[in-house]
Amino acid sequence: MKKWGEVALGVVTSMGGFLEVGSIATSIQAGAAFGFQLAWAIALGTISLAILMEMTGRLAAVSGRSYVDLLREHLGVRFFVLPLVAVMIPSFLVLVSEIGGVSIALQIATGVAFRWWAIPVALLGWLLLWRGTFKIVENGTAVLGLVSLVFLAAVLVMKPDWSAVGAGLLPSAPEHDRANYWYIAVSILGASISPYLYLFYSAGALEDGWTIKYLNVNRITAGVGNFFGGGLSLMVLLCAAMVLMPRNIQADAYEQISLVLASPLGRDGFALFLFTLCITCFGATVEITLACAYLVAQGLGWPWSENMRPARDARFATTYTIVIALAAIPIVLGTDPLELTNISMVVSAASLPVTVIPLLVLMNDERVMTRHSNGWLGNTALVLISLMAIVLFFAAVPLRWFGGA
Amino acid sequence: MNDGLDLRHDVLDAQLVDRNRESIGRCDTVLVELREGRPPRVATVLIGGAVRDERIGGWMAGLARLVRGGRDRSGGVSRIPFAAMQSIGETIQLDVLRDELPSEHVERWLADHIVCRIPGAQGKQELQKR
Repeated sequence: MKKWGEVALGVVTSMGGFLEVGSIATSIQAGAAFGFQLAWAIALGTISLAILMEMTGRLAAVSGRSYVDLLREHLGVRFFVLPLVAVMIPSFLVLVSEIGGVSIALQIATGVAFRWWAIPVALLGWLLLWRGTFKIVENGTAVLGLVSLVFLAAVLVMKPDWSAVGAGLLPSAPEHDRANYWYIAVSILGASISPYLYLFYSAGALEDGWTIKYLNVNRITAGVGNFFGGGLSLMVLLCAAMVLMPRNIQADAYEQISLVLASPLGRDGFALFLFTLCITCFGATVEITLACAYLVAQGLGWPWSENMRPARDARFATTYTIVIALAAIPIVLGTDPLELTNISMVVSAASLPVTVIPLLVLMNDERVMTRHSNGWLGNTALVLISLMAIVLFFAAVPLRWFGGA
Repeated sequence: MNDGLDLRHDVLDAQLVDRNRESIGRCDTVLVELREGRPPRVATVLIGGAVRDERIGGWMAGLARLVRGGRDRSGGVSRIPFAAMQSIGETIQLDVLRDELPSEHVERWLADHIVCRIPGAQGKQELQKR
């Protein structure tokens, strides 16, 4: 019975934690420019993420080790430099974007310029990490993140043409702005499958004390949780398609993006959007900061746990402190949060091969996985995701160049 | 698996823990002792940034030297005799104490001089890892 509580909580966590600056911004840009047509990118990204999370979670539950830990041990320190850098750079950029997302929401709500909010936001995030435990970080932000259900409410109010939505779930070539179309598709994939997400998930499985008995909890959390999370992301796209596109509002500034709920839900919709942006980006801020510290600490074999007091894992605590402090700086200096969000999603997409392909090795190593290694279905899925990651690696930067304008 | 220890797979880069099962870094390299007239034997496990950088490559060691202004880092390397190995499993347990290792000096320095001076560093005792 206790397990079912954990399953429910896990699903809520994955769902409430799904939306963040990247998924909100890219879904809105997609809906505003191309209507329902890019819905498939959200579906593809979500399914890929769910598969990667199920695998890194299974890895952790079976071996009692995190994905990063096993990467270093099995592929050696020379190789490890690659994922270290390839995860650190996009994660840091996304982190800055999340702090920017909270700050811009506060700017629109209060009129005080976003630059002034970066340090208070970073400080609050740090305080939560310094004083809180993993459960508080994980569940607190996720439960508040359920406010993002407001997008579902808005869609139900507006009654979309569901057969048109269904058509959008199948990939199709665009009739206009082709480069921009594929650019947004790549951004959506980058936002959905950020490497920090599955690294955080696998470390979180250990923080929560998962063992081999949790394989079903893992499967449901990764599958159902992401299904609902991706569903919310889709609702954001639908809102943008029905509110912004008919009015020809280009989603190239947060002031315009914020109008996405104003039409179906009026003034309350505007306020709820800002609240959702603020809360979900704050949750992601804390999680990414933690993910960066996990990455370094697990790779180098330091003591690490959000459940330990900082005095007992001083290097770990120092790492997250430095990361969140550095991430506030670009926003203080006035970097445009939306522009940075877009760049971050592209870099994130380009970084995927380095963390996706080694998973193929580890998930088939019977010394690690015993009899829970991947079957043919899992391997096929992982190979397909790896191929997609390679395509993204080569396509991301050129598309940013040609389609980002 | 049963006919011995695969140094590359089972030892190199493995997570090391001390007598009290506290993490003390990873096996950054292994030294084999050459003895006159007798077969060589695996002698020492090394932990520390200096050896790790060498293993990553010359560029990394050079970069680290540059960052540290050419100061010698070999003082931060722990050399632990293989005889101190207590068990090999998911981690390798060594019969040493974390507080006595040179490679842990950054951890100790940070804990004493920075982290413990910030309020709350000793908090959340009741919620220690299981």
